[in-house]
Amino acid sequence: MSTRSAVPPDARRVGWGQRFSRWDIKVSPYLYVSPFFLLFAVFGAFPLLFNVVVAVHDWHRRAGMGDFVGLDNFTWVLRQPLFWRSLENTFSIFLWGAVPQLVLALLIAAVLDQNLRVRTFWRMSVLVPFVVMPVATAMIFGQVFGQFGLLVPNLQELGLLTGSDSPFFSDRLLSHMAIGSMVVFRWTGYNALIFLAAMQAVPRELYEASTVDGAGRLRQFFSVTLPSIRPTMIFVTLTMTIGGLQIFDEVRLYDGGGTGGGKGGADNQWTTVVLYLYELGFGDWQDRLGQAAAVGWIFAVIIAVFSLVNFLLTRSISSSRSRGARVTRAQHRAAVARARAVAAASTRPEAAAAAAPGRDGPPPDAPVHDADVQEGASR
Amino acid sequence: MRITAKSAGAVAFAAVSALALAACGGGGGGASEEAGEDNKPDKLTVAAWMDFPQALLDSFEEETGIEVVVNRFPDGASAQTVLRNGLSSDGAGLSDVHLVELDWWTEMMAVPEDWAELPEVPDRWVDWKVAQGSVDGTITGYGTDIGPLAIAFNQDMLAGTGLATDPESFGELIGGDDATWQTFLDAGREYVATSDNYFVDSLTNAFQAAINLLPAAFEDPESGLPYDLAENTEVKDLFAMFADAAEDDVSAGIAIGHADWGAGFQNRQWASVVTPAWMTGIIAENADGVDGWRIASTFPEGGGNWGGSFFAVPSTGPNTAWAIELADYLTTPDAAIDWFDETGQFPSQLEAMSAPEIAETENPFFGDQRVGQIYGDLAAAAGDAAAGGYRGENFAGIQTLVTDGIRLVESDSATAQQAWESVVADFDALGFETAD
Repeated sequence: MSTRSAVPPDARRVGWGQRFSRWDIKVSPYLYVSPFFLLFAVFGAFPLLFNVVVAVHDWHRRAGMGDFVGLDNFTWVLRQPLFWRSLENTFSIFLWGAVPQLVLALLIAAVLDQNLRVRTFWRMSVLVPFVVMPVATAMIFGQVFGQFGLLVPNLQELGLLTGSDSPFFSDRLLSHMAIGSMVVFRWTGYNALIFLAAMQAVPRELYEASTVDGAGRLRQFFSVTLPSIRPTMIFVTLTMTIGGLQIFDEVRLYDGGGTGGGKGGADNQWTTVVLYLYELGFGDWQDRLGQAAAVGWIFAVIIAVFSLVNFLLTRSISSSRSRGARVTRAQHRAAVARARAVAAASTRPEAAAAAAPGRDGPPPDAPVHDADVQEGASR
Repeated sequence: MRITAKSAGAVAFAAVSALALAACGGGGGGASEEAGEDNKPDKLTVAAWMDFPQALLDSFEEETGIEVVVNRFPDGASAQTVLRNGLSSDGAGLSDVHLVELDWWTEMMAVPEDWAELPEVPDRWVDWKVAQGSVDGTITGYGTDIGPLAIAFNQDMLAGTGLATDPESFGELIGGDDATWQTFLDAGREYVATSDNYFVDSLTNAFQAAINLLPAAFEDPESGLPYDLAENTEVKDLFAMFADAAEDDVSAGIAIGHADWGAGFQNRQWASVVTPAWMTGIIAENADGVDGWRIASTFPEGGGNWGGSFFAVPSTGPNTAWAIELADYLTTPDAAIDWFDETGQFPSQLEAMSAPEIAETENPFFGDQRVGQIYGDLAAAAGDAAAGGYRGENFAGIQTLVTDGIRLVESDSATAQQAWESVVADFDALGFETAD
């Protein structure tokens, strides 16, 4: 605005251009991002808010909105044993899917982070399961765990299973493990690549320095790699929590989902909260949209709380690790200083030997150190 | 699951908001106009889940110039879901003609205005089929097939145990002319004692057939309210009978629709299946290459019926007049005979039932047995009882609940007693207002 007074009147055309370019700078960024927000408003925010309206009414598929019932739908849901059972199932399946997935993804990422031949090929390969639709994954795994699938007859052959039926469709815990394995299959590679990206960003000097200090591969992984990728760990754990708790396709199609199927087992062994919600609102017969909306809200709160807990937990675990590393390094420095002081003050050999711990000796894996340097240089 | 679960949620939310729009939109209500040249569409869509005889569709196109496009679903359950969602969103995504199965007919007909009224066609069907396809005296569905029940069994497997060698001796084994479910289940116990496979694929089919014969299984015909399940002794006794048999491992616990059902035939896991006529084609497909399957002409309690379907026309469709013509065309006796040849489903049309094409066709899979004849006799023996008892709006749901209890025992997850208690607890949790 201050420039306008300085511009002579006959330069108005230039002023228009300036004004446009000023608008361009101020407005167009918002225009560029607006499609997302418009779509989100229509398909994200509105349904979310509208869900509140549904949750406090008696609502049916065909008849639509009924009477206002306040919080009745919420208390109804909380009184249902099946809601609590599905909540237990959800968390159990989440744990069976998330914990092995996290460990495996870190391991695969650590391997991919090495100086491999045809590394793009390996990196692409771990993503292949992710290309498979969850529906296809569920159908195939359902068959694998079935009575005549890849697994059960062989386990029977080995004498690990008795009885001719597949326990993966009757035993609650085994069904959770089976469904967890689908999650592991599909998501491990994806998260491994996210971890890999984070690991690539870890300064190579840290590895060099730790190698000089005598840290082995394992020690480097726990004391350098893990603390350095902490923000990524938090990100992955959070998205994993939010996504993993919402699991639906896999449980719906685990038993084929045909006539009489898709409901989480005869005893609701593997009914998850989202499947329960679906059955309430859109399932075969109950037609309780209001209660289903209430389940949605209750579950949203639970996920939010659980994500927060996970966030705090992940943060404290990774930071306590890095604190541990720092203490070790301080001790290490102290030990070196002590050794120097002892060496300078006296020439008694037994004192020097006692002050300098064995791991301060020459690095046992010097060739590895060279490889790391080369790899670092090649990036 | 991350992305897809979210998008599934989005779909659910979208459906909810669509509902709101539907609520504003109000009922469509198809104007009943005549099918003429001026309102003739280029094509009509039919939603169903069985194979169509191509010749039937071709000749309709020849006759009228309308192309018939079949929206084929993998099973009845998915067709049901699409129809349910379409009806709740003012007809969005519906086909011109829909196949509706008897088991969920009541649910779909909850709002009769959703469906076009179909003109009466005198003497085409057995009376009880017309009664089932009507709501308050108005016909809303043209019957396709009925599901008379028989028992398919493998005579090679039974001969291996020395209990039976052919359809006659199998009939004697399960109780002969006085066969009941009890004698059938006892035969099963006898069979599994000496064989290395199961007697029957799943007891749920048999249990449903038995439930179907009760005049008012779960609900009071007067008020439409469900009976208190804990006090429902008829159902409780039936449940105990079948659950005890399940405890004795008479069944493999794998019913049709289960992912392992087809593999079970190929692995010779069971020696018999309670088989409605429409299932014969499905069994022939799944048990392809396994010899010795036959249909017995004896059935417990004198016969029964499972399923059978109707063609109905959603009133919100743009071409209701011609859609009604198509529904009519697809349910003529001639069409029913074509369908019998294609899938084995048994006609509900009187003229087709007695047609020689049905009775005299030999079925190569079932050892050249005249399957149509056997089912015709069983349907005649069952008579009007095959129509089943009273089905209120919660029939299908409570039936699923109770049948799940049988499945629970079949999978060794519970004893018969525990399973019944769990069923009653599940029923109570739903908090129905019950009839006395």
